[in-house]
Amino acid sequence: MKNTAATATKKWDTVIELSGVTKYFDQKRPVGLLKREKHRVHALSDVSFTLQKGEFAAYAGPNGAGKSTTFKLLSGMLRPQEGSVRLFGMDPSQHRIPVMRRTGVLFGNRSELWWDHPVRASFEWKKAVWDIDDATYLRICDEMRELLGIGDFWNSFARELSLGQRMRANLALTLLHDPELVLLDEPTLGLDVLAKRQMIDFLKKINREKQVTLLVTSHDMDDLTEMANRILLINSGRLAFDGDYQQLIQMAGDNRIIKLRLRGDAPALAGASYLGEEDGKHLYRYDASTTSAQQIFGAISGVEHVQDVELVHEAIEQVIARLYQAWRKEA
Amino acid sequence: MAANPFRQTVSRNVRDLFRLWALYARMDLNWLLQDLSSVIIVVISETLQNLSSMAGVLLLAVRFGGVGGLSADEVLFMLGFYELASGIGWVLFGNYNVIHISRRIGRGQVDHMLIQPRPLWMQLATEGFMPVSGSFGMLIGAALTGVAVSRLHLALTPVWFLLLGYYLLIHMALQLSQSLLYGSMAFWRPVACEEISSMIIDLNNQLGKFPLFGLPTWLTTLLHTVLPIGLLAYLPAVALLRELGKPVTIALPLIVACGFVTAAIICFQKGLRHYEEYSCNRYKEMGHRN
Repeated sequence: MKNTAATATKKWDTVIELSGVTKYFDQKRPVGLLKREKHRVHALSDVSFTLQKGEFAAYAGPNGAGKSTTFKLLSGMLRPQEGSVRLFGMDPSQHRIPVMRRTGVLFGNRSELWWDHPVRASFEWKKAVWDIDDATYLRICDEMRELLGIGDFWNSFARELSLGQRMRANLALTLLHDPELVLLDEPTLGLDVLAKRQMIDFLKKINREKQVTLLVTSHDMDDLTEMANRILLINSGRLAFDGDYQQLIQMAGDNRIIKLRLRGDAPALAGASYLGEEDGKHLYRYDASTTSAQQIFGAISGVEHVQDVELVHEAIEQVIARLYQAWRKEA
Repeated sequence: MAANPFRQTVSRNVRDLFRLWALYARMDLNWLLQDLSSVIIVVISETLQNLSSMAGVLLLAVRFGGVGGLSADEVLFMLGFYELASGIGWVLFGNYNVIHISRRIGRGQVDHMLIQPRPLWMQLATEGFMPVSGSFGMLIGAALTGVAVSRLHLALTPVWFLLLGYYLLIHMALQLSQSLLYGSMAFWRPVACEEISSMIIDLNNQLGKFPLFGLPTWLTTLLHTVLPIGLLAYLPAVALLRELGKPVTIALPLIVACGFVTAAIICFQKGLRHYEEYSCNRYKEMGHRN
């Protein structure tokens, strides 16, 4: 069927559909004073995934993995060399206007606020440009004042806002037209603990109550696992993992960390590998699926001068870091 | 009878254009009224800038009783016309770097435009509107033109006013199309070409205010076609003051302006297609700005 804005149904359940998307950039690199060498940077290679209405997915990966390229493809700013990108059944580069009416896009390092105007002016601007009716505008503004606290700086100039306030204002602006899909690139970038908490709670709320589909990137894996019920990991332009938190843990290994405080050098523990010293404690890791806690405690009982023992789950941040490291080695 | 979809689209676009112009006019007024001292500083600096930009040519013309084949009053008319035309262009496209389009492209700000649910032409036609803070040049131009007209005792007929409007449109079309044409290079070389639109406008502002009479034919031809500074004020002044309705003074500006507008549209669209392939990212040769 020919893809047109008209064929995209209003009740499209598959909100995002990427099929075999490949994106590369050709460039010429200097290899001498005058000589240039052709070079191809593969940003994305054969990436496919779909996102259904109401899903909240995290899109993560190490630096240079292809996250921003994916977001630009989804926003219609870039076109793939191979494969297809569909939002609500439409190609965003071909049907930019109808897609953007239903989509909110926020790049964490960019601001949509008018710098030399009060915050409210940016909202009034968006109301006119997006043709938002009065009732929707007032309703969303009220929600944003309550949930994101933008009323505190409603009349302040955008240039005067702190980073956290600016991010909140930008997020509120992104959501002003009541989008069905929200693409957020690093929305928690530079936020303090309180602002981050407000942001996460708010995103979870709109996902739960309004069935807004969200695709979020962040470098903070703890934030992503708390927010999203699905994790997409991208590495070197390829989709390396697509599943939930539990599946990710299974893939990476069900690891535990032992923190051992004792006098003297770190002893060897059978079944566990030594990671190093942190805050006067020796850190070990073991795979709980192959080694039991009993075996580990048995090994610890043979160590002299033990002052304290702590057993914790490996933090998701560390799981991901370990995965990234392994991928880098493979590459 | 079923409504004509084409007419519906046109009427919707016209309605949207006026709504957006009203929006940007309000934003411009609010910006200017942020505090009174800003308003005063803006008024004084704009006035000084506009007067000083034409002082050299005018003083020469007064001192020597004319310059480049035009009398002092005719030079005043030419300068007034230039200020009026570029002032109207500034009112329509001066804000937020619309007329300096290479800055937007070079700084990766086209992304902001692409996420708006409006056609790009509509955004470019409205976002630069600054009828309040940008109107000083236009008002000074109108005043100078009025003074020159009264000193020259011109017969102001409807045809004369029609041709005045025609040359004002030609001036704006040439300025804007050149900015867009050369500014499109920023799609390929964002950092290197970020300021190219400003350079072209500065070049026009400096050279477009000189009478060109007496130059060699090849140079006059060049300055009325390839680098059309002669069409910005000199030819319109000669046409409106001495050669009203002469076919060549009507046809030549139209042909050259159409050529530049067509080239600008083609290059800008080509640049946009390149942008969709490469965007403005770190893989760009010769750097990028975000």
